[in-house]
Amino acid sequence: MMNDLLVMTEIAGRRAAFRAVEVQSVLEIENVSSIPRAPDFIAGLTAMRSRSLTVVNCRKSLGLPAENAPDSRAAVVEIDGHLYALQVDKVEDVTEAKSAPVPINGGFGEAWERVALGMVETAEGPALLIDIAQMVAGPPAEMHPIGSDKGPSTIAA
Amino acid sequence: MDDLLAEFVAETREMLEAIEGEIVVWEADPADRARLDAIFRFVHTVKGNCGFFDFPHLERLSHAAENALAEVRAGRRSADVQLVNAVLAIIDRIGEITGTIDDGSSQTADSTANSADELLIAMLDQDAQDKDLAEQVEHHEPQAPAAAAPGTSAPAVTPRSIRLPVDLLDRVMSGVSDMVLARNDLARRLRASGSEPAIDGPFERLSAILKDVREATTKMRMQRVEHLYNPVPRLVRDLSAELGKQVMVDLAGQDVEMDREMIEMIRDPVTHIIRNAIDHGMETPAERRAAGKHEVGLLSMTARQTGNRITIAISDDGKGLDIGKLGKKAIAAGLLTDQEVSAMSRDDLHQLIFQPGLSTAETVSEVSGRGVGMDVVRANLDRIGGGIIVRSKPGEGTIFILSFPLTLSIVSGLTVGIEKQIFAIPRSFIEEIMHGAAGAVEFSSIGAADLVTFRGQRVPCLSLTRVLGLSESKELQEKTLLMVRLGTGDLFALAVDQVFDHEDLVVKPLAPAIAASGVYAGTTLLDDGSPILLLDIQNIADQNGLVSEVRLRPTDPDERQKCSAAPARPIMLFIGIDGRRRAIGMDLVRRIDVLSPDAVDIEGNRAQIVIDGAILPLIGIDQQARDQIAAEGKIKLLRLSDGQCELAYAVSEVSDAGTIENEIVPCEKDLSIEGVTLIGGLPVPIVDGMALFAQYGRFETPHNPLTCRLPADDEWSQSMLRPLVEAAGYRIINSSDNAADDAADVTFVMDQADTVPDDSGIIIRIHSNENAPASPESGIYRYDREGLLAALMDARVGTK
Repeated sequence: MMNDLLVMTEIAGRRAAFRAVEVQSVLEIENVSSIPRAPDFIAGLTAMRSRSLTVVNCRKSLGLPAENAPDSRAAVVEIDGHLYALQVDKVEDVTEAKSAPVPINGGFGEAWERVALGMVETAEGPALLIDIAQMVAGPPAEMHPIGSDKGPSTIAA
Repeated sequence: MDDLLAEFVAETREMLEAIEGEIVVWEADPADRARLDAIFRFVHTVKGNCGFFDFPHLERLSHAAENALAEVRAGRRSADVQLVNAVLAIIDRIGEITGTIDDGSSQTADSTANSADELLIAMLDQDAQDKDLAEQVEHHEPQAPAAAAPGTSAPAVTPRSIRLPVDLLDRVMSGVSDMVLARNDLARRLRASGSEPAIDGPFERLSAILKDVREATTKMRMQRVEHLYNPVPRLVRDLSAELGKQVMVDLAGQDVEMDREMIEMIRDPVTHIIRNAIDHGMETPAERRAAGKHEVGLLSMTARQTGNRITIAISDDGKGLDIGKLGKKAIAAGLLTDQEVSAMSRDDLHQLIFQPGLSTAETVSEVSGRGVGMDVVRANLDRIGGGIIVRSKPGEGTIFILSFPLTLSIVSGLTVGIEKQIFAIPRSFIEEIMHGAAGAVEFSSIGAADLVTFRGQRVPCLSLTRVLGLSESKELQEKTLLMVRLGTGDLFALAVDQVFDHEDLVVKPLAPAIAASGVYAGTTLLDDGSPILLLDIQNIADQNGLVSEVRLRPTDPDERQKCSAAPARPIMLFIGIDGRRRAIGMDLVRRIDVLSPDAVDIEGNRAQIVIDGAILPLIGIDQQARDQIAAEGKIKLLRLSDGQCELAYAVSEVSDAGTIENEIVPCEKDLSIEGVTLIGGLPVPIVDGMALFAQYGRFETPHNPLTCRLPADDEWSQSMLRPLVEAAGYRIINSSDNAADDAADVTFVMDQADTVPDDSGIIIRIHSNENAPASPESGIYRYDREGLLAALMDARVGTK
């Protein structure tokens, strides 16, 4: 893991890193056609070199409210033969990992734990290394409407 | 045949390459069951293919190896070193022979089978344990490659076909698609920058070439099912000859197009099923005769594209699956217990055929019956996301239905729009497209469900906008309705805002998160490069309870009663010559005709039209309207019939068929209509058929007119009397028509004639003496027109 290249991004104001080997390219997204009845974190479809891409809003996939519009640039990854464009707040640079991903005591927090591979040190400071498969899988069904104040307590009542 | 041969060689080589690793592992551990199975399948397939190409030696080799391996599989023999060596030697030899076949000397290759081959086979023999034999083989072995050497060193003939990996094709295809997108982009930019002749010409050329290339690349992937069918007749012929059976092949659906890869994937399964059908399913001609069937059995194969799946059905009219035997085998193999088997339904027992190691064949023939096959068939289909089901009736036959997705194939689709979004629907589902405002379409809301009445049939109507959970901004009447026919035969209407175009779509699978919604079957790119989704119609219908029995959603019982209480009366809606909408009972309308206005004759109040040589009263038109229509050159008519007489009703347009569901409000002032009813929210007068026929109807000549016999040789009778009698509605029988059984109702007898040819009916005598008194004895004077007509009229009354 040491010296691996990382694509640095910002998700919900936090520094998040993708393994550069997993990122096929960074795509300037022009049009996203929305998909009725698709889960909320799926922003829609877009095309890249005559292939369809599923656009994933990373903030929503984490169950976090999407406050401002994501960066027009997105990281393109391929999982099980499907292409995804991951929308993040900001796509920054490619940098070198200075450590292997390590867990941190106390975890990364409810929203982040699921997508976290660990913390990596970079020249720009520590970043969360993202598990792309978890990111495109979206939030598990029960924690889906996290923004909408419907916790388990209300269901119990 | 050359192509098939090349396929065979390529396939065998590929298998050899794939199996090479297995052989090594097996050699190290002959007890490894999975490897043994793999090698067994290889020799089994080679054997099958050889039989097809008539390479008897190759076939003997593979058959011998298969036999030995089958013994091992059955546990009757252990895979000792000698057996392993012998099998390996045979596999090597198969490779050599294949190589020689490829060099073109196909027949000689097979016939060069030398004594070494016989030794190889002998070596498999369990008892042939003596070392001499093995040594002999050792000595012989170098000869084999030597014999093949001249062939291999010869310059290779230019291949007529090559095999390409499918992902290479995919790359080429996506490259071409990219080129199209780039071209489209360039076209947009060129248009924006204004016309430049120096660039336009070459650009046009580029576009044309690109179009050709694109078509060709698309075709590279697609193949007609024909390619799958081509070898079948020969296969069936050879197999049935070998097994002493008579089988006819019936192939249908040749023009269904499939992904080339798919065809390759199902080729083996299909071959296996055909083999099994002929070997186990079909009876011998004698057995068939005894069972009261035609001596020649029928094997039929049909291919269908239903939505986004291809279905191939292979059926035989043989003796059906023997479930008793299947059950026993399953018990013997330890798969099931007695109780389990007896508790199983026929259908479940049939499915046992797909269990590994079960076969109903009593004797092991060269064709099939080793339990290879059906389990492998299912495994192969599973791998491509397909499935197989079997249905069988004892004594009547068996049908295997293979289905597999069309995912990579090109779907002929219809693009539709709702709320500014575009979706695609497989065209095969769509029966008809019409606008919600069309006269034939009528909406009703029953409970929360929308129904549309279409050709007298009430069908559920779904709004795509609502199905997709978007907010509706249009009324159903403003939408376009797609009449969707499901695979199950259920019909429903899908309302969309717009219908754009027919397009051939290359459908790609969806990301799991999107597929989970259940409303989309795939994604595809439009020509302009924008991605759209293909709707999963079957699933949408299913989610909305529109499949099979559930035609209507449960509704309020009161409403349901109201609905069933008034059976809808079918009517035909039309627009009269005067431009007014009217309706008439459908049962009165016999047909719709378009004729030339020349056929119309109008004078004062009388209007008539000539149709098929008959003059019919014409309604709904006057002289002035006729002159207008004359300019158009055609007149549209409803031909009405009350069962006895016919009327023609001139209309300017036939809107469509519908039903009366609302109350008919009578109108006392206008007696020509039954009343006015609301159809599609508009008042429509309904033409009163009764009044119409009472006023205009006239009885036509009866269909079975009375007959009248005239002397055939009498000139006067034929020239003068005949027209008169015919005008009175009689059919003429000439007395020379020697038809004793054709007794005439009336017979004319001339005064000269003494004999009466036919006295079964009424006899009218005619004389030519003007001054003779009119009496029953002498008859009627021949120019006494009134007298003759009166006599004919009397005769009509008399006979009735």
